[in-house]
Amino acid sequence: MSSLRLWLTDPNPASRRQARLGQGYLAWLRIRRNKLAMTGLVIVGLLLLMAAFAPLLAPHDPLAQDLSRRLLPPGTPGNLLGTDDFGRDILSRIIFGSRITLYIIALVAVTAPLLGLLIGTISGYFGGWIDALLMRITDIFLAFPRLILALALVAVMGPGVENAVLAIALTAWPPYARIARAETLTVRNSDYIAAVRLQGAGAPRIIWGHIVPMCLPSVIIRVTLDMAGVILIAAGLGFLGLGVQPPLPEWGQMISSGRKFLFEQWWVATMPGLAILIVSLGFNLLGDGLRDVLDPRSTGK
Amino acid sequence: MMTTATASGTALIEIKDLTVTYRSKGREVRAVEGVSLQVAARQSYGLVGESGSGKSTILRAICDLAPVTGGSIRIAGEALEDPRGTDFSRQVQMVFQDPYASLHPRHTIDRTLSEPLAIHGIKGSDQKVMQALQDVGLPTSFRFRYPHQLSGGQRQRVAIARALMLEPKILLLDEPTSALDASVQAEVLNLLNRLREERGLTFLMVSHDLAVIDHMCDRVLVMQHGRAVEELSRDDLAEAKMTTAYARSLFEASADRMLA
Repeated sequence: MSSLRLWLTDPNPASRRQARLGQGYLAWLRIRRNKLAMTGLVIVGLLLLMAAFAPLLAPHDPLAQDLSRRLLPPGTPGNLLGTDDFGRDILSRIIFGSRITLYIIALVAVTAPLLGLLIGTISGYFGGWIDALLMRITDIFLAFPRLILALALVAVMGPGVENAVLAIALTAWPPYARIARAETLTVRNSDYIAAVRLQGAGAPRIIWGHIVPMCLPSVIIRVTLDMAGVILIAAGLGFLGLGVQPPLPEWGQMISSGRKFLFEQWWVATMPGLAILIVSLGFNLLGDGLRDVLDPRSTGK
Repeated sequence: MMTTATASGTALIEIKDLTVTYRSKGREVRAVEGVSLQVAARQSYGLVGESGSGKSTILRAICDLAPVTGGSIRIAGEALEDPRGTDFSRQVQMVFQDPYASLHPRHTIDRTLSEPLAIHGIKGSDQKVMQALQDVGLPTSFRFRYPHQLSGGQRQRVAIARALMLEPKILLLDEPTSALDASVQAEVLNLLNRLREERGLTFLMVSHDLAVIDHMCDRVLVMQHGRAVEELSRDDLAEAKMTTAYARSLFEASADRMLA
């Protein structure tokens, strides 16, 4: 173990693989020192485990209805977090709902920032009419309130998880494009970009290999800040009945169905709400730590 | 007008009546006006003048980084294509003035040096990167460091190594030592001289310091306000045989350091 650590922390790595693994190890050490980031990592890790082992963890079938046991309060034996209006176990529904939440988050987190990065860097790098065209398109998307645009898209494409994801991704990219373009404008005339152009590099290589790494930190901050918003928009679409369809246990939709009993049976809406809160918090904390880790300049000399 | 000593047949770099005009918001700025010069193979040619005299712009114009509005640039007798192709980057490379701005802050030295090889599909980058580090006098243990972990002089050595990765014949040097302190400056200049001798390179070097030019160059062109003022050989410089008042004033400003 200690020889492995020595190999990883060797200041003079012998190969590219060793250097890369060593940098990864240093990044891990840095994130481990950051208590808040570790908290976020633990929350996200637990969410992953919960989604992976949902059938083992859940005490009941999330879809099984039992009208004789409807609206039981939390702490009832057999129903730790109580039951909803169809007598379904809320804990089991939250556990199974983590799969849907993760699925939506993963898809949106991959597609929207990538699309935004590409459009922003291309726009900033080439300038001229390409820039004008792409930025006007971005403006049009930015001019709509996000939820309204997502609603319109879902209404056109029909409700469902995939369409909800697509709608969220299509409404989430413009801020990333704006950030990426601004960063691109600050680096495109720098000497290191001139140097690589002078070496004969084409535009795709310059944009992907040299400009995107400079834009990544600010985009990642934005992604983690948006992650909570994505969960909430997905929940909002579910709440309005345009996202995940019943009886699937999606957190937003669970809140929506619990709204009717909010004053008498508060737990039906509160429990999934708490789940959304905790997961959003976890992603925010983790993202904050990741930003520090991703900047090699924060490594000690 | 200018007189050139080298016959046009042997010139590696041939610039004729070069004019560079920057346009922005209706205003025009002539950075370079009708400058001609010729550099023979294996020669070291200096451009000297105060800030804003257009000397760096000439280098940038060669690399297509400045808007050429008149005249012609020929490398080895052939006009340059627009945009510059991959042949050009194998022939001409540049070392920039500020080593703090010319290396990508998020790429390791290894990545910076192997990038040109990757662009041109050259194999064996592992070994070539190690060799390049040794050639510029850096320990190979620096290979996986980031630019922020190196000093200014070390960074400039990396920049020189990068410029030499494609084994070009011509090196454009844009005040390569002005951002460094005096002792490091001498080391880098000596390194450049050694590399030129070993590899038979041709230098086109910009400086505002005649002492540096005197140490490095066989011929020098004095520039002022975007125009060529006077061309001098090293012997002219040593014997203080300049004909224009401007060149003489530049010479007198740095004469004490040249004799030392």
